[in-house]
Amino acid sequence: MSELRDDVKYAKSHEWVKVEGDIAVIGLTDYAQDQMGDLVFAEVVPAGTTVAVEDSIGSVESVKMASDVYAPVAGEVVEANDTLEDAPEQINETPYDTWLVKIRLSDPAELDQLLDKEGYAALIAEES
Amino acid sequence: MKKTPLYQHHVDLGARMVEYAGWDMPVQYGGIGEETAAVRNDSGIFDVSHMGEIVVSGKDSASFLDWLLTRKISGKQPNQITYALLANEAGGTVDDLLVYETAPETYFLVVNAANKDKDVQHIESSVGRYREKVGAADISVEDVSDRYGQIAWQGPKVRELAATVLPSLGFSEDAVQAILGLKRFRSYQMPDPDGRVEWIVSRTGYTGEDGFEFYVPAEATTALWQGLIDAGIVPAGLGARDVLRLEAGLPLYGHELGEDISALDAGLTRFVDLEHEFQGQRMAETNRRRLIHLVSESKAIPREHYRVIMDGEAVGEVASGTYSPTLEKGIATAFVDKDLDTAGKQLYLEIRSKQLPFSEVESPFVK
Repeated sequence: MSELRDDVKYAKSHEWVKVEGDIAVIGLTDYAQDQMGDLVFAEVVPAGTTVAVEDSIGSVESVKMASDVYAPVAGEVVEANDTLEDAPEQINETPYDTWLVKIRLSDPAELDQLLDKEGYAALIAEES
Repeated sequence: MKKTPLYQHHVDLGARMVEYAGWDMPVQYGGIGEETAAVRNDSGIFDVSHMGEIVVSGKDSASFLDWLLTRKISGKQPNQITYALLANEAGGTVDDLLVYETAPETYFLVVNAANKDKDVQHIESSVGRYREKVGAADISVEDVSDRYGQIAWQGPKVRELAATVLPSLGFSEDAVQAILGLKRFRSYQMPDPDGRVEWIVSRTGYTGEDGFEFYVPAEATTALWQGLIDAGIVPAGLGARDVLRLEAGLPLYGHELGEDISALDAGLTRFVDLEHEFQGQRMAETNRRRLIHLVSESKAIPREHYRVIMDGEAVGEVASGTYSPTLEKGIATAFVDKDLDTAGKQLYLEIRSKQLPFSEVESPFVK
């Protein structure tokens, strides 16, 4: 069973979003990392990049799979987690404590489009 | 979706199941990295019951197969296994396969699951074409895939472990001696204790490691699998199988081989005897590309269809790409034009609109 948290919101493309003021912290859900398997590669867009919803903000790869990571919200990437390049396995080990990028929200109303814990639980139940 | 006799065992082992060639197959149990390492350093078992088995028999079966396949099977020792390709009339590849002679004038063809039905059709229509050519010919073709389960036990420790594990699984002393005495690409047959189809054990595999493959009656597959699991052998899924075969430089149909990709394109020259008459002999004329082997010079991991760049131009496309847990680097096969001179050139792959450097190496990636 995948771990779900109460203090984050979820995108249908399996990112979690934690809001800290006007900053959205983005990571990959436990379900997503489990589906991928052991990650051997991760890269994210650099700080300063402006992204729209559903733009690619990076990619993660396991031995046999490659997957894009998408922006759940629009805004400017203010910080990118550069430690992932050398240690992508952090995402497998602590998915909710390993952030990928931090985005300064350009439209906080977009957060309402994201799923809560129950909504995301229903989504992954449907997918698996 | 079709299920192998071991389906429930995979589920109980916690495998992640995926559809492959119409079968519900385990892609991984623990993790592809650890399963790959087990097979490279110790040993692991694979359920490959989805593979197809086709029996071609009759007085004229050997000469028919000589004409059907890229190399002759006649004149081989009875227990000698031949890897060959089934070519279409244009020289492209219908499938790659192993041929076992299981009795006089009786040949057991092991084919890819995804191609099995197509292979049976191709072989049957080829019998027709062969008869048009030579007149009446005694050849029959039978799909026996449903009767067999198949387990591959692969790794450097397999023979050492087999000496103790096989007797505990009820193999007779004679059988164990015969199996341990097998040279590479040789097979041993033994009667099934319950009188079903004969067991076939061969020193073959698809990982680049030593090992055995067991073709056993479908009903007997579960006991053999469980016995090996109980002996502590690591189960490995299709994910590790694909990584291992690519590291070993072995082709996979649909990637390095296809209806429009010949054995010569794929660099399988030593499995093609152009001196003998066979269907698809035209492949020498249609050979326009060659397969190259690439290793990533960065952390980037190559994937199928990525473009190969040389001197700023697209010169080819990746056929298979993966992260190699053994080399801890990305590896790929790619097709380029046959006449493209890559010697001394820096090659790149276009990955998410970036060009990343790759070195050309000799196959296999892992020796």
